[in-house]
Amino acid sequence: MSDAISGRPITGQINSGTRPVKRAQYSAKLSALILLTPALGLCAVFIFIPAILAIAGSFFSFGITSREWQPAGFSNYTKAFADPIFWTALTNNLIIVIGSIVFQIGIGTILAAILDRGLPRASTIFRTIIFAPMVVSAVAVALIWQVILDPNVGALNAIIKSVGLTPPQLGWLGDPDISIWVVLMIACWQYTGFMMVLILAGLQGIPKELYEAASLDGARGLKAFRHITLPSIRNVLLVAVLITTIGGFKVFDLIYATTQGGPANATQVLGTYIYLQAFNLGNMGYANAISVVLLCIAVLLGWIQLKSSRRA
Amino acid sequence: MQHDRNKRLTSLALAGFMALGAAIPAVAQDDVTIRMWALTNPNYPEFIAQAAEAFKATHPNVTIDFQETPNEAYKTAIQVALVGSAPPDVFFNWAGEDSARLVRDGLVLDITDLANAPGQFGTTIAQSWLDTFSVDGRIFGAPTDAVTKYFYYDNAFFADNSLTVPATFSELLGLCTAIRAIDPEIVPIPLGNSERWKMNHYITLMNERVMGNDALRADYSLTAADDALFTNPGYVTAWEKVLEMQGAGCFQDAPNATSPEVSRTMFSSQISPMIFCGSWCMSIFDGEGYTDYSLFRFPPVEGGASDGNSNMVVPQGLQVAAATQHPEEAVAWISFLTSPEQAAKFAEMRGALPSDPSLLGGLENATEQFKWVAADMASLAVQFNVIDVEVEASVANAYLDAGVEILNGTMTPAQAMESIRAAALAAKAAMQ
Repeated sequence: MSDAISGRPITGQINSGTRPVKRAQYSAKLSALILLTPALGLCAVFIFIPAILAIAGSFFSFGITSREWQPAGFSNYTKAFADPIFWTALTNNLIIVIGSIVFQIGIGTILAAILDRGLPRASTIFRTIIFAPMVVSAVAVALIWQVILDPNVGALNAIIKSVGLTPPQLGWLGDPDISIWVVLMIACWQYTGFMMVLILAGLQGIPKELYEAASLDGARGLKAFRHITLPSIRNVLLVAVLITTIGGFKVFDLIYATTQGGPANATQVLGTYIYLQAFNLGNMGYANAISVVLLCIAVLLGWIQLKSSRRA
Repeated sequence: MQHDRNKRLTSLALAGFMALGAAIPAVAQDDVTIRMWALTNPNYPEFIAQAAEAFKATHPNVTIDFQETPNEAYKTAIQVALVGSAPPDVFFNWAGEDSARLVRDGLVLDITDLANAPGQFGTTIAQSWLDTFSVDGRIFGAPTDAVTKYFYYDNAFFADNSLTVPATFSELLGLCTAIRAIDPEIVPIPLGNSERWKMNHYITLMNERVMGNDALRADYSLTAADDALFTNPGYVTAWEKVLEMQGAGCFQDAPNATSPEVSRTMFSSQISPMIFCGSWCMSIFDGEGYTDYSLFRFPPVEGGASDGNSNMVVPQGLQVAAATQHPEEAVAWISFLTSPEQAAKFAEMRGALPSDPSLLGGLENATEQFKWVAADMASLAVQFNVIDVEVEASVANAYLDAGVEILNGTMTPAQAMESIRAAALAAKAAMQ
């Protein structure tokens, strides 16, 4: 029971003293604090403190095994903005983000609609098959695709040659002009199933009556999909876009296991470039500066999408 | 009476606890665990397990806690561990810049005095080998083994097609052309450069064959004058030789999309008759059941400064972390691993070349190819390290990228050297 206006517990008012109310509030705050402490502690140790150290480290020049940190001012940031590989990596991240939104969510929505409306009986089997790549680790996915795409013994080249076509001469993952698109395709193969399941859950929450009413008004098929389905799953789609965008910016494992950012940095993304600078080239300060840029982008995008979802 | 008995029991219990308390630190002080990290390699855990057991005979209180990590992951993990709170006592490392950087950063223990004590490895391993892990005359590690590179060829294919081992670079190109003439679909020398380091081994050899080892020292160590750094026209010639190999059809179309494993399998499954592979490949091929092969050295380039009696040799070894609590036991363990008996076992079990190749003559179980490599290594007049281990990291990275671009045709040899020279100048400036 609570006071409908103030929201305070009625028991506190019945006791006619302010002390029990304050004590109850104090006790509630203390309980909340105690319950939050483990989570806050973990966040501090694994997120806040490393983030603060990364920001601080970005103003120094040092290697992972260095004994001394040399002050570097903003030079790591100016170096990043003048570094063509940094821009290549950022562009590749954007290609992966936009490509993933278009293909993963686009194809995921179509597949979900087919399973929800077109194949309701066999949907469990298809859903399982399409979702399966999602449960495989990115490294295993990379190895599978490396074998398929191998220019010497791979299945894809054999199929292409058997129908009289010519595969790319430098190889699917060796040609700098196409390798990022091939990696994008692998990412889509892995995650489209997840998007489909997410959107399918949204579709199954739409009341059937809406479609029946629309049908009476003459809205069927694509018209119903556009005017009923899409608006009804707007929030689900926003969540899907949020997940895909964050995933696209923090992608590392798939690229590292597939191409290590090559050939000649053609598939470099910010994650792999940070790794290269920090652990292979020993430029920890520079790697920190790129990490801070990546953090700012992620926070900004997260904030924009949070605003959008609240408005929705 | 009851009171006295309780008192006596209490006193006895107290005495017991005190005795136990005194005994525990003694046991803890005696028992030592040496944590050892190394690269993942075939049969190496088995070698370490038997060595640890044998080491107990002289050091019953020492336990070896061995952990192996794959190549790329190891390079990161060891750096992180050495600056962390619980580094390994003994760890694997490559000689050259990888080792020198850790010494500069104070993460490796100076073990000169311990190593030179009677019976320890400093008194048994040849000075030239010790030098590979020494800085300014101080010992910072023990060389355990070395890897090198050779061309492997299929005996049956060469015999069936009357092909002979090339004595010069031109003959090597002729060999590629001849193999393509036999069947255009056969890739003479598969090249798996997806991880970039395979081409780096080619260019390491090519630089030496064209310019000679001495001409490279000042550039590789970044001690050459700014206006001379990596300006020798031989560097461009060396890349052009790589393109000549590509033009002669030595490699397949997509070397940058081929993994080292696939290229090795193309040779061991006899799809291709040759491969340029490390000495470690012998144990891989033998393990896969393919033994009908022989080896030859990278041939000299006509007009080049090297006579070809030289080869790339990359010493590898063990170092002791500066933070170890057990330096004496760590050095004793390393000395035991490099002792003649264990070095012979190492060669037998790992199929790798230990730091004392003179032991190899008596190995009964070694393959003919292994004995040939050991003898060839012993006959070398000049040994040199691989570029990506020897030069500063950003210069090595520029070389690695240039190899990819040259093979893809997106960069000319002159452009490649421009980018490498720019990286070298930047690295030199940063070091000053």
